[in-house]
Amino acid sequence: MKCEDFKFEYTAAPSDIAGDAYAHLQACPSCQQFAEQQRAFEQQLGSVINCAVPEGYRQSLRASLPPANGVVWRWPKTSIALAASVLLAVGVMGIMVLQKGTTQFTIDQLVVEHFEHDGAHSMLASNQINRQQLEQISRPFGVQVGLLGNISFAEKCPIGDSYGLHMVYQYNDQMITVIYMPEIPLQQTLPFSYSGLKGWVKPLKKGSLAVLVGASDELPDETFASQAIEWL
Amino acid sequence: MRQKQKQLEYERLVLVYSDELFRYALWLCRDKSMAEDLVQESCMRAWKSFDKLRETTSSKAWLMTILRNEHARQYARYRPDMVDLDLDMLSLRDTDNDTSPEAFALKQALNELANEYKEPLLLQVIGGLSCEEIASVCNISKSATMTRLFRAKQKLREVLQPANEQVSTK
Repeated sequence: MKCEDFKFEYTAAPSDIAGDAYAHLQACPSCQQFAEQQRAFEQQLGSVINCAVPEGYRQSLRASLPPANGVVWRWPKTSIALAASVLLAVGVMGIMVLQKGTTQFTIDQLVVEHFEHDGAHSMLASNQINRQQLEQISRPFGVQVGLLGNISFAEKCPIGDSYGLHMVYQYNDQMITVIYMPEIPLQQTLPFSYSGLKGWVKPLKKGSLAVLVGASDELPDETFASQAIEWL
Repeated sequence: MRQKQKQLEYERLVLVYSDELFRYALWLCRDKSMAEDLVQESCMRAWKSFDKLRETTSSKAWLMTILRNEHARQYARYRPDMVDLDLDMLSLRDTDNDTSPEAFALKQALNELANEYKEPLLLQVIGGLSCEEIASVCNISKSATMTRLFRAKQKLREVLQPANEQVSTK
C-alpha cells in the first residue's frame, strides 16, 4: 500500500484501519507520524462537535416518550390514500434502484417513512389549494401545475435522496396522487401494480412524474403528464 | 412483541442514544430548542415504526436515519420562515463547550462545509458510525462516504495548519 492510500483510508475512517493499511502503518515511520497528528486532530474535532447536552434534556425526552399502554398510531380511514403512498414509495424505490443502482435504503424503510409522513396526511387534506398557493410551491421546482380543478394537497416532500412536488388531485370524481420528481430521471415509462393499486412513472424533460390510483379506479393515461406539468 | 416489553426496549434504545441524537440534531438545526423538538419528533416516529427494527446492531444508524429524514422534512416545510436568522451565530452560541480560537475557527469551518461533507462527518464523530452505516444513512456508496469524510477533514485541517503541512489529496 502506498502512503497516500494509507493517509486517505486513515483520514476517512481511523477506527476501521485493518489488513493492508494496518500492516503499512506498522512498517512506515512517516505514516506513523501522520497517524499521530491525525489522532490529535480527531480529538480536537470531537471536542468541538460533541457539545454538552442541556440539563434536564434526558428527563424531558423520557417524559415525551409514548406511554406503555398507549396506542400512538392507527390506520387512517383513507386506506386508498395510505396504500397509494405505499405504492408510490415502492414505485419510486424501484425507479431509483433501476436508475442509480446505488440506493442503500431498503424498500420497507422507504415505504414506512413515506407512509408515515405523507400518505394519510396528504389524502386527508380537504381544502382546495388556490392557484397562488400552488404557484408558490411549484415555482422553486421550475414548473407550474397545469391541472385544472381541485388540488387538495401540494407540498415539497423528500423523495428518496431528493425532493419532489407531491400533490393530491381530483380526477373524474376520485382522488389521485401525483408526484413530480425533478431529480429522478427515467428512460421510459414504468407502469406498476402492487397490492391492489396501480400507476405509472413517466420520464419528463427534467425528472419524472408519478401517478397512482386504487386498482379499481381510473388511471389517467400518459398524456396526463404533459397536462400536469408545464415548464417555466 | 408484547406492548410493555416493546416499550421497555424502545425506551432503552432511545435513552442509550439520546445524547448522540441531540448533538446530531443540534448541528442540523443550530438551535437548542429546535434540536430538542427534533429529537422528540424523531423518537415518536421511531416508536411508530419500532416493529420494523429487526437488527439491534443497526439501531443507532436507524435512529439517525429517522432524525435526518425528519429534519429534512421540517427543513423543507419551515425553512422559508427562518432565512432571516443568523444561523451561523446561533450554531456557534449553541455549541459553546470549547471557546478557544482554534475551536471557534473549526466550528466556523464546519458550518461552512457543504452538507454533503458535513453530514457524514457528524455521523462519524457524533454517532461513531462506520462508513457502511454512514453510507446507509446518507443513501450513498461506501466509497463516496470515504471520499466525503476525507475531503471534509482535509478542509477542516486546512484551518488549523499552514498550507505546507496539509495532507496530500488522493
